[in-house]
Amino acid sequence: MRNQHQRSMPKRRVYHCCLLLLAAAPLAAQKLPLGANPEGKRLLIIQSHHDDHTWEFGFGGFIARLTRSGYEAWYVRTTNDEKDSGIGWGRGDQINHKESVEATRHLGIKEVISLNWRNDHMDSVPMNEVRAHYILLIRKLRPDVLMTWNPWGHYDRNPDHRKVARAAGEAAWMAGLANVHPEHLAAGLKPHRVPYVYYSQRSDYGRGQVPNIAIELSAEDVRRKEAAFHAHQNVRRGSPKDAMDKASRETGEQHGVRYAEVFYFRDEWSHLPGLAPLLEESVVKR
Amino acid sequence: MRLLILLILTLAAQARTVLVVTADASDFLLAAGGTIASMTARGDTAILLRVTNDEKNSWDLSPDETARRNGLECAEAAKLLGIGKVVSLGYREGELGGVSPTELRDRIMFYIRLHKPDVLFLPNPHAEYVEVLDRHYAGLAAEEASHTAALRNHQPPFAQVGLETHVTRELYYYAQPFDPRRREPESTATFVPQPKVSDIGAMLDRKIRAALALKTINHAVAMRIRDRLESTGRRLPLLDTVNDASVAKLTEINVRTLAGTGAKGTGFQSAEEFHYAGPDFGVPSKFRK
Ligand SMILES: [Zn+2]
Repeated sequence: MRNQHQRSMPKRRVYHCCLLLLAAAPLAAQKLPLGANPEGKRLLIIQSHHDDHTWEFGFGGFIARLTRSGYEAWYVRTTNDEKDSGIGWGRGDQINHKESVEATRHLGIKEVISLNWRNDHMDSVPMNEVRAHYILLIRKLRPDVLMTWNPWGHYDRNPDHRKVARAAGEAAWMAGLANVHPEHLAAGLKPHRVPYVYYSQRSDYGRGQVPNIAIELSAEDVRRKEAAFHAHQNVRRGSPKDAMDKASRETGEQHGVRYAEVFYFRDEWSHLPGLAPLLEESVVKR
Repeated sequence: MRLLILLILTLAAQARTVLVVTADASDFLLAAGGTIASMTARGDTAILLRVTNDEKNSWDLSPDETARRNGLECAEAAKLLGIGKVVSLGYREGELGGVSPTELRDRIMFYIRLHKPDVLFLPNPHAEYVEVLDRHYAGLAAEEASHTAALRNHQPPFAQVGLETHVTRELYYYAQPFDPRRREPESTATFVPQPKVSDIGAMLDRKIRAALALKTINHAVAMRIRDRLESTGRRLPLLDTVNDASVAKLTEINVRTLAGTGAKGTGFQSAEEFHYAGPDFGVPSKFRK
C-alpha cells in the first residue's frame, strides 16, 4: 500500500459508505479520507494471535487513539500462540499470552480474552463454532466498533487469519438477529449488530486489501503503539527501536498528516447500499 | 396467419431455460431481478433454486414462522418476475458454512442436469464485502456445479436416472454493489467473466412489485434501521411509523437506488451489474457446440 497514495486531496473528516469512494477514480491513486472516531464507547478487537494488532499494518495506534478518547476496549486472542517462537508449545503459549496482556495495557485495553484454539490449526475448526463464540462475546460486550482481519484479504497464508476474519465478519452482523443462537437470549443477552467495522490486512502480499480510510495518529498514540509492539519480546527481540514510528510516519506522509494508519472501513449502513444515501441524507436527531 | 405461426415458432425456438441459484429470498431479486424479468418477458422459462430457508430474517417471528412466511413470499416475488417454478433446498439460513461444499455442489449440479439451462444466474462468490457468507458458499457451489455438470465422471448415479452431462452456455454472476472494485475487469484472460451491465429500465416497476412481495424481510429491514436509530437518539422521518405504507416506500427507494447505482456511468436510467461469461469466451473450446 505504500507508494500508492500520491495525489493530493483536501483534508476532510468522513466516515461514510464505500459506495461514495468507488465513484471516484482508482482508489489506489488517491490520498485517503481521514476518519473521525465513530460515535460510541466500546471497542472489540478480534484477532487470531497475541500480536496481530501490534504490527505496522495493525490497529495499535487507532486503539490507542480510541481509548484515549474514552473508549473501553477488549482484546480477543483466538488461538493459543503455541507455535510462535521456538521455545516449546506450552511455554510459547504462556509467554505470548503474558506479553499480550502487557502490550494491550500499553494501548489502554482492559482485558485479553483468550479462546485458546490451537495455533495454526484453525482451518480444521468449523466456521460456525468459532462464529458462535464471537456472537456470544459481541452480545455480552455490545461493541460500537469491531476491529478484525479483512475477510476478503488476499494471499494471507496464515490459516488462523482467514478463519478468524470470516467468522468475525459474520458474527458482527449475525449477532444482531434474534433467531441466531436464541439460547443466548434465554440467558438474558440481547441481539446486537456491530455498527462500525474496521479491517486490516497485510498489504505486501500482492493486492491484499485496498484501504478506504486513513486514521491520523498523535505522537502519543504512536509512542503507545511502539511500546505495544516491543512488549512482544518473545517474537520481536532485536527489532528496530523506532519501527512503528517509522511505519506510521511513512503512512502519514502519504495521506498528508504526520502519523497515520490505513484500514478498510465499513460504516453502519454499508450493508444496505440501496438505502445508505437516504439514511445519510435524511436521518435527523430526535 | 401463417406469418404469425412462423413468428410464434421462431420465438419458441429461441426461448431459453434460465436457472437462478440464490442463497436467500432477497439476494437474487435485488441484484438480478430486473434482468431475470426481462428474460421471462421475452419468453424464456425460469426456475429459481433457493438454497436456504430464510429462517432468521424477520424482526420478531420464530424461526419456523419466519421460514414459512419467507418461503411463501419468495414464491410470490419469483412469480412476479415471471419465474415459473421455485425449488427450495431447505438448508438452514446462516449455516451454509457447516454444509459439505461437495454435497451442495452436487445438489445444484442435479438441477443443472435436470433442467439443462441455457443461462445460469449465480451469486458471485468472488465479490468482496458481501457480508452474508451463505451467498459466497452458494456461489462457490453453483460455480463449481456449472463446471462439473459437464463432466461425465462426476456423480455416475445421475446418468443412471437419465441425467446426462450439460454445458451451460451463459453465466451471470450477480452481487449487490458492496464491492468497490466490482467494475474492474479482473483479467484479460478469455476464461474470466467480464463486467457487464444490463438495462432494466423497462422492468423496474416489475422488480419493485416483486420486491414488495418480500413483506417479512422488508419489515425486518425497516425495524432494524429504526432500532439502530432509536438507540442512538436519531430518527428517519419515513420510519416514524412503521406500517405497510412506510415499509413499501423504503423498499421502493432501495430498489430504485440500486438500479441507479447499477446504471452509473452507463447511459442507462436503471441497470444491474454482473460478471458475465458467455458462449464466446466463458466456455472452454472443448465444450463449445
Ligand atoms: Zn497472526
